[in-house]
Amino acid sequence: MNFDLVSPTTTEDLLRAIDEHRGRRFRFGAGYTDLLLDLEEQQDNELTVINLARLNDPSFTSIVHDGGEMRIGALVTASRIIADRKLQSRYPVLCQAAGQHGSRQIRHTATVGGNLCTASPAGDMACALVALRARCDILPARGDARSLAVSDFFLGVRETDLKEDEVLRRVIIPTDDGEVKTHSDFIKIGKRRSMECAVVSIAYHIESDGDDTMTRAGIAIGSVAPTIKYARSACEYLVGKRLSSLGPSERDEFAAKVVEYASPISDIRASAWYREDVLFNMSKSILENH
Amino acid sequence: MKKSLKVIGKPTPKLDGHLRVSGKAVYGHDISLPNMLYGAILRAQYPCAKIKAIDVSKAAKLPGVVCVITADDVDVAHMSHKRDHPVLKKGEVNCIRDEIAAVAASTKEIARKALRLIEVEYEVREGIFDPADALQEDAPGINKYARGDEGKNIAQTFHYEHGDIEEQKAKSTCIVKRRYVLPRVTHCCLETSVVTADYSQSDGRLTLYSSTQVPFLYQRDMARVLKMDPSNIRVVQPVIGGGFGSKLDMYPFEPICALLSMTCGQPVQIAFSREEEFVASPTRQAMVIDLTTGADAEGRFTFREVEITKDNGAYTSWGATTSFVMMQTFSSLYHAPACVFDARAVYTNNPYAGSFRGYGNPQSTFALERNIDLMAEELAMDRAAIRLVNANYKGEKTGQGLEYATCGHKDALDTVIAKSDYTRKKREYKDAPSARYKRAMGFASMLHVAGGAKIYRSDGCGTTVKLDNFGHLIIITGSSEIGQGSETVLAMMACEELGIDMSKIKVINTDTDIKPWDVGVHASRTSFVAGNSLLGAIGRLKDKISPWAARYLKTDIEDLDYDNGEIGCKTSGRSVKIDKVVRELHFQDPNVLCMESYYYEPASDFQDAGYKGNVSGAYAFASQAIEVEVDTYTGQVKVLDVYVGQDVGRVLNPLGLMGQIEGGVVMGMGYALTEELVVAKGQVVNPTFHNYKIPSACDIPEIHFYPIETHDQAGPYGAKGVGEAPLIPTPAAIANAVSNALGVEINALPMTPENVLKAIKDRP
Amino acid sequence: MSHDNSSRSGGFGHRLTIAFTINGRGVTREIRPALRLIDLIRDDLGLKGTKPGCLEGECGACTVLVDGDAVNSCLYLAANIDGKSVTTIEGLSAGVDGPGLDPVQRAVVEHGAVQCGFCTSGMIMAIESFKRQCDTDGVVPNRERIKKSLEGNLCRCTGYKKIIDAVQSLFEQVQGADGAS
Repeated sequence: MNFDLVSPTTTEDLLRAIDEHRGRRFRFGAGYTDLLLDLEEQQDNELTVINLARLNDPSFTSIVHDGGEMRIGALVTASRIIADRKLQSRYPVLCQAAGQHGSRQIRHTATVGGNLCTASPAGDMACALVALRARCDILPARGDARSLAVSDFFLGVRETDLKEDEVLRRVIIPTDDGEVKTHSDFIKIGKRRSMECAVVSIAYHIESDGDDTMTRAGIAIGSVAPTIKYARSACEYLVGKRLSSLGPSERDEFAAKVVEYASPISDIRASAWYREDVLFNMSKSILENH
Repeated sequence: MKKSLKVIGKPTPKLDGHLRVSGKAVYGHDISLPNMLYGAILRAQYPCAKIKAIDVSKAAKLPGVVCVITADDVDVAHMSHKRDHPVLKKGEVNCIRDEIAAVAASTKEIARKALRLIEVEYEVREGIFDPADALQEDAPGINKYARGDEGKNIAQTFHYEHGDIEEQKAKSTCIVKRRYVLPRVTHCCLETSVVTADYSQSDGRLTLYSSTQVPFLYQRDMARVLKMDPSNIRVVQPVIGGGFGSKLDMYPFEPICALLSMTCGQPVQIAFSREEEFVASPTRQAMVIDLTTGADAEGRFTFREVEITKDNGAYTSWGATTSFVMMQTFSSLYHAPACVFDARAVYTNNPYAGSFRGYGNPQSTFALERNIDLMAEELAMDRAAIRLVNANYKGEKTGQGLEYATCGHKDALDTVIAKSDYTRKKREYKDAPSARYKRAMGFASMLHVAGGAKIYRSDGCGTTVKLDNFGHLIIITGSSEIGQGSETVLAMMACEELGIDMSKIKVINTDTDIKPWDVGVHASRTSFVAGNSLLGAIGRLKDKISPWAARYLKTDIEDLDYDNGEIGCKTSGRSVKIDKVVRELHFQDPNVLCMESYYYEPASDFQDAGYKGNVSGAYAFASQAIEVEVDTYTGQVKVLDVYVGQDVGRVLNPLGLMGQIEGGVVMGMGYALTEELVVAKGQVVNPTFHNYKIPSACDIPEIHFYPIETHDQAGPYGAKGVGEAPLIPTPAAIANAVSNALGVEINALPMTPENVLKAIKDRP
Repeated sequence: MSHDNSSRSGGFGHRLTIAFTINGRGVTREIRPALRLIDLIRDDLGLKGTKPGCLEGECGACTVLVDGDAVNSCLYLAANIDGKSVTTIEGLSAGVDGPGLDPVQRAVVEHGAVQCGFCTSGMIMAIESFKRQCDTDGVVPNRERIKKSLEGNLCRCTGYKKIIDAVQSLFEQVQGADGAS
């Protein structure tokens, strides 16, 4: 493994480093849990890693709850997500997803930004963020920051909308402070009960009012399409209905709507039919246990 | 009556535990010799190809590279017990592991870089990856060094029979015939394969720092391949990071490392990456078992007909000979009036199989125990009851000639049936309403050698004990420690016999120049064979010490008691410190050295040409009852509780014993549920821990262990071997439980969620 | 990390100087930018207790503590320990008088939680970090949580049960002491 390393400590230095490397091969390094594996066979002297781990800018490194939104810096690690009490109470699905990401060791270093920029269809925190309809806050080397929905950030397997001169600064979850009842989980299906790369994953975040009527529903599915998908029609199907009054046929109808967003493939981890069947069954299960 | 014992039977932590928990134990990867080079091996790019040309010139010129070798540069004999395996391959490759060239360089990085500079021109051929294809008449011969005397592309065959099959068929009310398909799995020792070779050009001697489980056979094999005098080869075993049978044979990387050192005149180390470990280390053999079994109206077993086709891979290692053990299960687990067994190991262009804990027995037990469940179903008998009717018994001499001097089979069954609360749960689960999660219980038993296995010319072990003049004991044993705890058990025995504190006992067992001969650590034999050998040596030592002590204490030898570092007189209460006795013997005329040796050979028989004979000094029996919960939404199987009843003869060290049981059960679970080394057209598809799933801490069930103590006369303190047994029935019991829970037939492994969900979907 | 104000490349083939603490001792080293922490620890510092199991972050045998958090040293860039504190297995009993063991090491030996021992260093470091976190949070973890804390450490010998028992015992002692008061 061979590469050069640049370690900016300020955002200004970071943007300058990006600018200077324009047109040359470079990668961002944050938690390194994927990158070092990717670069294992990297031999030539042509690659620079822009090391974000030394960056000292709170907009990249902290979790801020600021009135209308939750802002999570791209360099926030999975273990910090898990420990954040505001996230735990308001958006537990993100903590649930972070808690199933890799191992404790991985969670100590893996970052939210890394999980998004890797753009794996099996991304854990990424799946939860799609369900929460979070937005990416992206900083270019020159010019103004831009923002787009996490679901639009993913263009394909390991392919994002991030331009050559851009860096992901943080993700933003729009929020309101009303009292809501939350029904959420991150379901991750694999062969084992830990250290899995999802064969199928579902992140869901459902809010209900005092009357048990669903007021907001976010459902995202992973590992069943080239990118993580937001199951819009399934979400819409739920809003306005009462969670406890859904019968078997409605649960099936809902599950069928989720499956419409899937276009699974067969690979070493599972066959397409299996992914589809399990996606249907587990979608159904969301409405069974509440 | 049992003699009351001081240490034996008490939980005793590992003798060198403090070294292993403080990072001070030195493993093969930790060895660094002065001037040492790093070796790396270029393997085949295709599983079947002609090599038209190899050009190593660019690699040889890379700064830091000291030498590059190919088959043309070395004069060596072929490897393997079938002599069908060239160390370095020339002209053609037949398996993705094939070693084509090797490099020694000053750093690991340079060695790896050099491999990329070696140019190989291939002419790719169509490989054969299914044993059935290899057996076709028009199939090309895969291994050109194969003797071929047993048929084209057949590496080895076994035929065994006893009893009158036709007569037993006539008695059978039910006959069940099924095909079982078992996958290729691998050991996953946490330490990858590693060897360091240090050849001295001045005296022609070679020292190998090797993790081998069979140091003396390794020394012999290495010498034969390198055309050296075996006594010029010294094998030193560093602390070994996991064995499980993987290190029972010598593999090409080991003589290659020696050859690099011989060429360079410098020490060379070869350490596998994890990916290389998956690709290039042996596997449990994949196989197809066709099994027909019968039972009469009362459920008594009548006959077994077995046909097995094993995927040998391109070369022969110890995978081909697992039939020795497999046939025992079919001939002798549960009373079996008649049995006919045919097995063949067939060459393919797949990675070759080796030995793995259980040695074929998990596969044969899986097939047999599945058939037993199916027969119970057909006869409308209870699954526990049919097993009890047929359980093995003390004094039984089986059709194959195994003699069960002690036998805890029925006790083991009774225990797990009772402890698992089977009868109540069976009723409860039968009446349970239809739901997403299904629960059920499954049973399986096993039989395994537990007092060595007389396959090699000797199944023995030598021991030397040396009592020093400060009262410390040094045990020099031929046996090897692979983490299983044999050193601790040996020290406990010495403590028991000589009354010397454990802290004053050392075990030396890592150097062929020092330790006496032993056939190796395998076949669950070490506590039994090395234990008996140690007891023999201690007996001789006492024969020297006791007369002097008796004279000194003015009493009879029979009246002496070795305890607490002293030799005491039971009647007078007088005593003398053991170190004083040693000093007196050492330094007074006629100057007697307190050192003795003993060679123990189990009182077992070689099998005859028909594989009949009492091959082991003792036999272990075990039964497991396993409760599972299946998620019908995902096909995931959760193993809830594992009840293990195992005839261990006698518990020596409960802590070590339970470690073997729990580790074995969880390893068996991996085989049952998640593990498979996927090989597609000869290429290993999942050579990472990411895609080859061994169980993690989150996957483990509750394990309830009930030792059955049968006090076998042949074993040390009545003990039998235990190491392999706990893994053997686990996959079978889980498959029975899952089949039972879902009302389906699971006749293949692994039971991945996908395979289980498929079984549910395909349910008639 | 001292090279060109940290933000500019020093050019290929250049080396970085890092200063860090290893097992309580301050150290300065010149390293290649792409050096992994495990290689720094084993090859440069000569601390062989940290084991290479897979070098892909799956087995946890190479687990060490960086500022108290367990990380896989195979997936950690050595450059990023600049200014940080690293603890390896060798550093655990350093504070203990004489040839003793620290409480986690002792629990592992006494519970029979070590067989071949190749996973053990990493396992112990993972337990150490988990124990510290639980102590900080004032949590006594249940068995399921203990299992979860070990998910990143593979062991092929023990079947994990004795390891889990060993971890549990560390908290029982604490609890026992509390319960007595």
